[in-house]
Amino acid sequence: MPAGMAAAHASTLLPLPASHAAALMVFWFSGDRESGPNVQIAASQYDRATRQWSAARFVVNRFAMGGQLGYGVRRLGNPVAWMDGHGRIHLFVVATGGGGWAASRVLHLRQSSAANSLQELAFEPVRALPLSWLWNTSFLVRNAPLALADGGMVLPVHFELGIKYPTALRFDSEGNFKGMVRVSQRPYMLQPALVMQSPTQWLAVMRDERPKGKIGVAHTVDGGQHWNDLPDLALDNPDAAVAGLGLGPGQMLLAHNSSIASRGTLDLSRSTDGRNWARVQTLEHGAPDDEFSYPAMLWLDGSLWISYTVDRHRIAWARLQPGATPAGAKP
Amino acid sequence: MSTPTSVPWGDWLTQLLATDAPALPTAVAMQIGLHLGWSVVLAWLGVAAAVRWWPGQRSRSQRLWGVALLMALWAWAPGTYSPAYWLGLAFQTPSTVTVWLCAGLLWERLAPPATAPSSLSVAVADRRVLALATLGVLTGWALLLDTFAWLPVQWYAWGFSPAASGLVLLVALLPWVLGRSLARSGRFSWWAVPVALLVWVVWRLPSGNVWDAVLDPLLWLVLHGLVIRRAFRFMRG
Repeated sequence: MPAGMAAAHASTLLPLPASHAAALMVFWFSGDRESGPNVQIAASQYDRATRQWSAARFVVNRFAMGGQLGYGVRRLGNPVAWMDGHGRIHLFVVATGGGGWAASRVLHLRQSSAANSLQELAFEPVRALPLSWLWNTSFLVRNAPLALADGGMVLPVHFELGIKYPTALRFDSEGNFKGMVRVSQRPYMLQPALVMQSPTQWLAVMRDERPKGKIGVAHTVDGGQHWNDLPDLALDNPDAAVAGLGLGPGQMLLAHNSSIASRGTLDLSRSTDGRNWARVQTLEHGAPDDEFSYPAMLWLDGSLWISYTVDRHRIAWARLQPGATPAGAKP
Repeated sequence: MSTPTSVPWGDWLTQLLATDAPALPTAVAMQIGLHLGWSVVLAWLGVAAAVRWWPGQRSRSQRLWGVALLMALWAWAPGTYSPAYWLGLAFQTPSTVTVWLCAGLLWERLAPPATAPSSLSVAVADRRVLALATLGVLTGWALLLDTFAWLPVQWYAWGFSPAASGLVLLVALLPWVLGRSLARSGRFSWWAVPVALLVWVVWRLPSGNVWDAVLDPLLWLVLHGLVIRRAFRFMRG
């Protein structure tokens, strides 16, 4: 945590090239409180040699971004990171306009520093992605992009002014915006997480905002050109974000809160078909008032890396190796 | 199985309808577009306010020029001192049609023609311009419904395709197709959509989406007022 900051939320993981001194980076938003005026995007890197996380530092400030955009950014929220074909890091950050989260835009930032070591890392705004005619509100980003074979990616976002619906944005290998496709027709699905089953068949697993909801699913068989809703998964969901990961054909992982009314339990589940999920292990289990939420996952160097929010105060992480005892800590 | 001639036609149609290859404006172009757009809108608002609430200024064009210049320059002030910084936060960049209409109204106010007083309501009195305004209202409704996913098609996303700009161009040419002569006052309004398309084609402003170039929510609200008022007058005979 950056010094003096009481709140932390919505982490996202980014793998770094094998030649980099650090194996991966984590980004999250931090400040006095969620949606506070001093919230910035913080980052830390996991050093390969020392196997330690570096001291966190802020890499995105709303005042600096506003100055470069030419117009104000009221608040910062969820970040999502991606590395393009040139090795440049892109950040997609929730940035509010004239209102609360419902007035959010997705701000696209690109690495402006020559190097991407944490101390040198700096970003410049590319643009607020043009996603809506209504003053370009109210789209938010949360989950990691789905990497494509051509070097591009698909970034899941959602709309949330009054109703919720998920949308998938396509980018080429340079990070250029290439269009948008609505993922679900159901007006209560948000924060989609994309899971690749094959190069053309993907799942979108989604948070359901309804009370006593399940985890929603949509499916594409043509590489994201068209999507169809599927019946909900049998898994309970307390209106909380989920994270999905496709490791290969028939190997899918899901990190999710598994009780109806609490974010106090965070589970990791596995599936071969995307329909039937079996719990692999419970990552956290606390009291009903505890919160272990907003998981992010990454497969790197033969390990599963997971980060998540603890009580909105800090970011925890775990490294799971098949057949081994999980390593983890709470930086 | 495709015939040799149907393949190029199919490819051409696919390209025309494609929404997956949008060209977006550069960061520099967006910054200039933001400040230029709001400077024109603010200049017109300032002059309109001065004429309305500053008695005796109607004939003092030099002072009106001063007001316009001051308001326009204010939009270029650095950082948070600029109203564009705050207007952009809430409303992003105004559509090029809005900017063009404000520029036209401003010009007619600063250098008034010898004939009728200038206003959008005068322009809308022309049936062809009224038809355009009505189309703007309907288009705005389609875009609003699409924003809330209440349409089966993604109308806003279609604004990234070449076909959408072609359709807008056809609509923009309606005043010329339907009539030979148009009222002198408010003539600038005929050019609003073609100019917006030209700016969109060259610089992709304001966002890379053609709907943002021709219509913004504030203009859409104004068009409602103009069309409804005209409709009431028509009904009263």
